[in-house]
Amino acid sequence: MNSKHDSLGEKLFDGFNYLLLGLLSLVTVLPFVYIIAGSFATEVELMEREFFIFPRDPSIAAFQYIFSTDTISRSLINSVIITIAGTLANLAFTFTMAYSLSRKDLMGRNVIMNLVIFSMLFSGGMIPGYLVVKELGLLDSYAAVILPGAISAFNMIIIKNFFQQLPPGLEESARIDGCTDLGVLWRIALPLSKPIIATFGLFYAVGHWNNFFSALLFLNDHTKWPLQVILREIVMLSQLAAGDMGAMDPNFIEPPDQSVKMAVIVVGTLPILLVYPFLQKHFAKGVLLGSIKG
Amino acid sequence: MKQKATGLKKSLALLALSSVMAISACSGGNGGSNGQSESAPPQSTNANSEGNGNAKEEPFKISIMMQSFDTNLPKADSPVIKKLEEYTNTDLDIQFVPNSSYPDKVNITLASGQLPTIMVVDKSPSFISSARAGAFWEVGPYLKDYPNLSQANDIVLNNSSIDGKNYGVYRGRVLGRMGVTLNQVWMENLGLQPPKTIDEFYNVLKAFKENDPDQNGKDDTYGVVITKYAGPWDIMQVWFGAPNGWGDDGSGNLVPTHMTPEYREALQFFRKLYEEGLVNEDFAVMDSAVWNDPFVNGKAGAFVDVADNARRLNSPMQEKAPRDSSYTNVYQAPVGPKGHRDMPTTGYAGMLAISKSAVKTEEELKKVLTFIDKLSDVEMQDLLGYGMEGVHYDMVDGYIAPKENLDASLIQQYNGLNQMLTFIGPVGATLEQTDINKMIAEVQAANESIVVANPAQPLVSEVYAQKGQQLDNIIADARIQYIVGQIDDAGLDKAIELWKTTGGNDYIAEINKLHKESQQ
Amino acid sequence: MNTALPSDSKISMTRGNPKRRRWLSRLKKDKWLYLLLLPGLLYFLVFKYLPMWGVLIAFQNYQPFLGFWNSEWVGFEHFRNFFANPDFFRLLRNTLILAVYDLIFFFPAPIILALLLNEVRLAYFKRIVQTLVYVPHFVSMVIVASMTYVFLTTSGGIINELVASITGKSINFLADPSWFRPMIILQMMWKDSGWGTIIFLAALASVDMEQYEAAVVDGANRFQRLIYITIPAISSTIVILLILRLGSFLDNGFEQIFLMTNSLNRSVADVFDTYVYFVGITQGAFSYSTAIGLFKSVVGILLIYGSNRLAKRFGQEGIF
Repeated sequence: MNSKHDSLGEKLFDGFNYLLLGLLSLVTVLPFVYIIAGSFATEVELMEREFFIFPRDPSIAAFQYIFSTDTISRSLINSVIITIAGTLANLAFTFTMAYSLSRKDLMGRNVIMNLVIFSMLFSGGMIPGYLVVKELGLLDSYAAVILPGAISAFNMIIIKNFFQQLPPGLEESARIDGCTDLGVLWRIALPLSKPIIATFGLFYAVGHWNNFFSALLFLNDHTKWPLQVILREIVMLSQLAAGDMGAMDPNFIEPPDQSVKMAVIVVGTLPILLVYPFLQKHFAKGVLLGSIKG
Repeated sequence: MKQKATGLKKSLALLALSSVMAISACSGGNGGSNGQSESAPPQSTNANSEGNGNAKEEPFKISIMMQSFDTNLPKADSPVIKKLEEYTNTDLDIQFVPNSSYPDKVNITLASGQLPTIMVVDKSPSFISSARAGAFWEVGPYLKDYPNLSQANDIVLNNSSIDGKNYGVYRGRVLGRMGVTLNQVWMENLGLQPPKTIDEFYNVLKAFKENDPDQNGKDDTYGVVITKYAGPWDIMQVWFGAPNGWGDDGSGNLVPTHMTPEYREALQFFRKLYEEGLVNEDFAVMDSAVWNDPFVNGKAGAFVDVADNARRLNSPMQEKAPRDSSYTNVYQAPVGPKGHRDMPTTGYAGMLAISKSAVKTEEELKKVLTFIDKLSDVEMQDLLGYGMEGVHYDMVDGYIAPKENLDASLIQQYNGLNQMLTFIGPVGATLEQTDINKMIAEVQAANESIVVANPAQPLVSEVYAQKGQQLDNIIADARIQYIVGQIDDAGLDKAIELWKTTGGNDYIAEINKLHKESQQ
Repeated sequence: MNTALPSDSKISMTRGNPKRRRWLSRLKKDKWLYLLLLPGLLYFLVFKYLPMWGVLIAFQNYQPFLGFWNSEWVGFEHFRNFFANPDFFRLLRNTLILAVYDLIFFFPAPIILALLLNEVRLAYFKRIVQTLVYVPHFVSMVIVASMTYVFLTTSGGIINELVASITGKSINFLADPSWFRPMIILQMMWKDSGWGTIIFLAALASVDMEQYEAAVVDGANRFQRLIYITIPAISSTIVILLILRLGSFLDNGFEQIFLMTNSLNRSVADVFDTYVYFVGITQGAFSYSTAIGLFKSVVGILLIYGSNRLAKRFGQEGIF
């Protein structure tokens, strides 16, 4: 595609497109920039100014405060472990199942697909789910946070459809070369689905990173909590109206500082934000299919 | 070909790994009782083995589940916990649950059947039903045997009871906690006296709006700041004589507050405040997280909430521009047409319930109660509230002076442990009495005699359990709509009619029936 | 060894006990596939179907401490109460309108954004934009609600001051019921449009570049390439996402709506999800809220199967 063929209309469109996307990026990123700025600002400034990008007298006090104990750094490590282990488990479980279900001639496929879809809509709920995890002896282990969400039916169905769209010729030729189904998956299907692996790896990783609820349910030991539990608690506490603090004893407890809240948000969000740019090269257009064919 | 073989190997390994994971997960489930004993959290083992009396010196095992309001929590080896265990001769397993998810955690714990020895609970429907089903010890009759617990307040015991029985030791809180906080600088600038009556309170708000209290020559101030959280309206309507929740209509029947003439009178006053701009015009949608901001920034001059908020408002104002005396003064509620009245709290925040699944015998129960009783000793109150003397605080003239710039890792050693305190019995040491703290304490002490109890507080209503929130929303919405002028008195009547037909009539009947029963 | 074509297995069927032979031979032929299927299947059985009894508490007065076996059975009582609730039609109406708004305005947003991004030729610009628009997904709803208040309040909100300086009077976005739905949809767009593009960008990544080159040679302009190559390439992804979205049609997302509701807009803001919160979570009515969830799920499953059939009739793959 080279631009010298562009008509005036196309050039106008390009200009409009760049402008629109530029504005959109600004609108989406500014609030986060404010949170970063706020994490370096003083309490008084945060109360006085509604919005700013540069704090008046920047300080790293909030960060010093949150890193003065091992709570944040330890939970950060917990989050990383859960996210990496969880995502690998997700990908293994999801892609194997999706691949076998992508074969339309597989006996029993329809029954299983119906089971999967049914389970997307009907679920036993929090208490029965908890009891299963407890009976399996998984409480207080990271497996309790990872296994109950090992497959997202939603993701699995999309991946299955992607496999269905792979050119059938490739499979046939691999099979004539003597590949088994496992060989086809490993040698043909997975290499072709790098963008899909990257996409769903990202979906799963973000899901693990943002998940606080299963950690709360299944991990009683607070030294095992991931960062999101801490982050959420700080955000929720600062949201409590003073008179709402029924259970809080007035002499002991003060809601956290705004700047501390923002610093925790920054620490809790930046690592996962940085994953995407890193994965972006896998979204490079069309290269994969071409290289396999050639 | 070689490449293919390794590929195959890898995929097999992957497959084996994932199937092993799935299979091992499954066999645990089939293992039945075997798997269960392995999975049992520490709390299930407590009390049973050790608590048989033969080993008197052996520390008694107690597991506790309670809320945390902070994320920087003590570890099991914290010296403060060690000291607590030593003092009470116990072996503690403390499980902190973040406050925002506490109700869920209570429910799954109840469902799991493996309850900790002590669980902090609210009077939630699932606690009520499990207490009725015999999940918890009725501790009421035992309290008199303990030096500290025997001093429990009867009103609060009544408030925290279920069907007239106490299934837990309440965690006491200040009953008369509310207060009116005013901007002292503005008061001085305008030469105003602290408001004694509602009319005077109104005049102060009016002056804050119209007489340029910050003397900047601009019309940029107003009276009282209120948010989406409707607490201030609840408080102020009690000033006018409206009952707190439910009131006696004179014939011995209870009526809900919104059906009394005093309630209507209060709403007319609120409407006037709104029309004249004495309250922030966006109060109905204002985010509670920024409630303090207009006061701190010198836009609003009055704050109707808990009295201790005067301190929270003062500190950032001092930070901004240090001043010798406090920026805020706090006062009791103004006197209304029906006398001097104020809204109380329930006097407690949850209770320590002792489960029958962890505590099997009465003998063990007594050990647990002894532990709870000992928590109220002054030494323990000081320890759990402020840490250890010399490490976390110093004693100065009988007051606690926390060490300055205490490292967060030291704070961590005692942080959050105060959630197990009941504050029944002797009063522990307090923080150094700054002017503002003194003022707050005085207001709260004086409040004790003017607070209006809610006679329906101890009653457990079935109708409310099913439709309570829906009913509350009807009235709460109508009140706000009335204040901002979206509906008039006829509209308010219509809302009350809707409230009645949605289940309010049944609710009134049920509350009255329960009330009469409890009176006998 | 697995080169047998489907036609072969049909022939083998005619010998011996045809049914059993066919069953066994297909199992044998696809043994690797079944092995691959096993972990996933076990997962669904253990973690999804073992706790499925939880659905039945809709017909009980479930109490956690009593457990499933000791709680009282009440049949369809909760369903009757739900449908007879004076608020039912208001809740249904609010839920449906919001769901339709969501489908019409929010659902296409990531698709359009992905297509616009796809037209960007400066690689670095595209990457930066992609990264920036996906940031809001990580901002929690509580923070979004707080920021919405700060920007939109009539007491000095930046946006409202802008509106006032242009039109002469401010708009009470936060309290006016007619602004509630647009506000919710705009928040969703802001928060998740960028995030939603990822899956379409992945689908676009697998479009064969040769097709574009061939189209250029044939003299197709950009608009034609968009219509004839790009959109068909992502259409099946769109259809699948649409079908799956219909399954949760009646889910409006509790937290966002709860946070944006106030006494002045509740008439339009009350939806099933917030109602379930009020009766279920705050009141402990497990069974009642499960019954409402069950109702929503039945609607969802009907919509999924109906739309899947419809998609197939129009020549799409559908979800299975």
